[in-house]
Amino acid sequence: MHSGTKEYPERKIIAQHLVKDYILKEKSSLLGRKQKQVIHAVKDISLEIPKGKITGVLGINGAGKTTTIRMLASLIAPTSGVLTMDGVDAVKNHLWVKGRINVISGGERNLYWRLTARENLGYFGSLYGLRGRELKERISLLIGIVGLKDAQDVPVERYSKGMKQRLQIARGLINDPEYIFLDEPTLGLDIMIAKEIRELILNLAKERKKGILLTTHYISEAEELCDYIYVMDKGEVIAQGTKEELKELFMYQPELSIVISSEDESPSINGSYSDNNMAILNELREHFRNRIRFENGTERLLHIRGTSKDWSDVLNVLFEHQIPIHSLSIHEPNLEEILMKIISQSREGAV
Amino acid sequence: MRKSLLVMKAEIKKQQQNDYHSYFVYFSLLVWPILGFLEIYYTYRPFEAQGRDLLAFLGTGFMAYTCFWSMVQNAWSMSNQERKNGTLEISFLTPANRLAMVYGKALGALLQEVWMFCCFCIFVLFYTKTLRWDNLALLPLFLMLLLVSSTIWGGMLNAIFLFSRDASIVMDLFDAPMTLFAGTRIPVSCFPKWAKVISLFFPLTYCLNIIRFILGLQKQENDVFFSFAGLMLCLTAMMIITKYLLVKAEKHNRETGQLQFY
Repeated sequence: MHSGTKEYPERKIIAQHLVKDYILKEKSSLLGRKQKQVIHAVKDISLEIPKGKITGVLGINGAGKTTTIRMLASLIAPTSGVLTMDGVDAVKNHLWVKGRINVISGGERNLYWRLTARENLGYFGSLYGLRGRELKERISLLIGIVGLKDAQDVPVERYSKGMKQRLQIARGLINDPEYIFLDEPTLGLDIMIAKEIRELILNLAKERKKGILLTTHYISEAEELCDYIYVMDKGEVIAQGTKEELKELFMYQPELSIVISSEDESPSINGSYSDNNMAILNELREHFRNRIRFENGTERLLHIRGTSKDWSDVLNVLFEHQIPIHSLSIHEPNLEEILMKIISQSREGAV
Repeated sequence: MRKSLLVMKAEIKKQQQNDYHSYFVYFSLLVWPILGFLEIYYTYRPFEAQGRDLLAFLGTGFMAYTCFWSMVQNAWSMSNQERKNGTLEISFLTPANRLAMVYGKALGALLQEVWMFCCFCIFVLFYTKTLRWDNLALLPLFLMLLLVSSTIWGGMLNAIFLFSRDASIVMDLFDAPMTLFAGTRIPVSCFPKWAKVISLFFPLTYCLNIIRFILGLQKQENDVFFSFAGLMLCLTAMMIITKYLLVKAEKHNRETGQLQFY
């Protein structure tokens, strides 16, 4: 059928320089002429979705995540750029692509509420050409996977939000897709159901070797699930990498916090400790420069960002000068902090 | 072909499961058309119109009109409800044959919405002795004609409504003009020339002419050949237009992303 369908040169979805512009035509007044306005929803993104991996797309509202998913899922056509699935042009052969992918969105739409779970899955399965015993078995399997066995013959309108979301997942798997696009799949769900769904997503990628693209507002979710992350802002990819690479890239190293005196120790008049201690701390400040900070202007609590070598250097100095240490703690930066930093740095750069 | 039939069957089944939950729905599908039918019948009665012939004429007219009109309503509600539910876009996320989808939606709605009123009209045709035991074989013939014509008409409307959620203008365009010019209540032969020309644009006109000829309510043979040719031409044109519109609508929606708007 297609030149690339017999041999699969690359078992992944590859997007290169995708651009999506929408043209808005709006009237300024009732009898006025329509004014054209071009909205650059996605400016120039390149990304890959390999099989067996979970690829995350993060970004704040309006970053272009949903438009990107809709382009990759062939629901909308890119204005320019190249999109291939397993080496096949996905823009030209969008019907071929549609048989191999599925989209699962958060929220309660995309289902027939007056139909039962079985009836919904039966209908959508038929649209993919499934029938008879194969369809029945697939439905039973999926209903079991998403845990809706007891409610399979109940109309969807009587389902809770979590049950509807689980049915959405079953619908998204009805055609046994090779690639799955998950657009905020745990949106508004309670922690227990969200956890179950995250386990299911992980299983789909790791056990069943599906290529998964996940957009989420929950950074912890991306941190837990994603093998590779693209950070989007204003329609562009502003950073990418594994979460460890992103931390490294944006110099988000773990931080050691040291409490060097207890609160009831009486400080000197200026709020600091002994002159001797002060001098040592100043030396540390000089040596580590922007990697060390003192909380709230007092020298009671030190935070040192860096490697374990840096930490041992500081601790050695403190031991050497017999400065008592009350407690130690290590703070690993989370993805949310990194995301905030990436976006703010990107915006500052743009300014 | 097998997959297309599967899609049509799924659409019909889904429509039945989604729209018809209470016997009251069927009740309203019967009572309202009958009231409309009786209103027209008793409007004509004071003008010495002949009772049985008039009943048969109106019976066929109303039956065919209800079939065609239900297609307009269905296309409008498909556009609205399925857009709101997000299911329209999800169905276009599948590789299902688009033509089978729109014809399936049309046929599903047709079978659900008109069967009770059709039963009533068939009863009227028996009562007026238009249909008798000796010509009963005509019944499946004209029912099939009605079914095929309405489905093809409905498919085209479904394709039109894919372009925009604001296509409700089509409802207004087809309501009164189709009732008047297609000859559901008044024979087209009574129209002035300009109205006759307008009537040529409605496939319902040809469909009704043929049905009335088959049932012996219309005598001129020349007319029926013209109507048959007209209907074939109309149905072929509508199928070609539907196919074209579906390609265009999908392309348009892929460019604008409007299928998700509601």
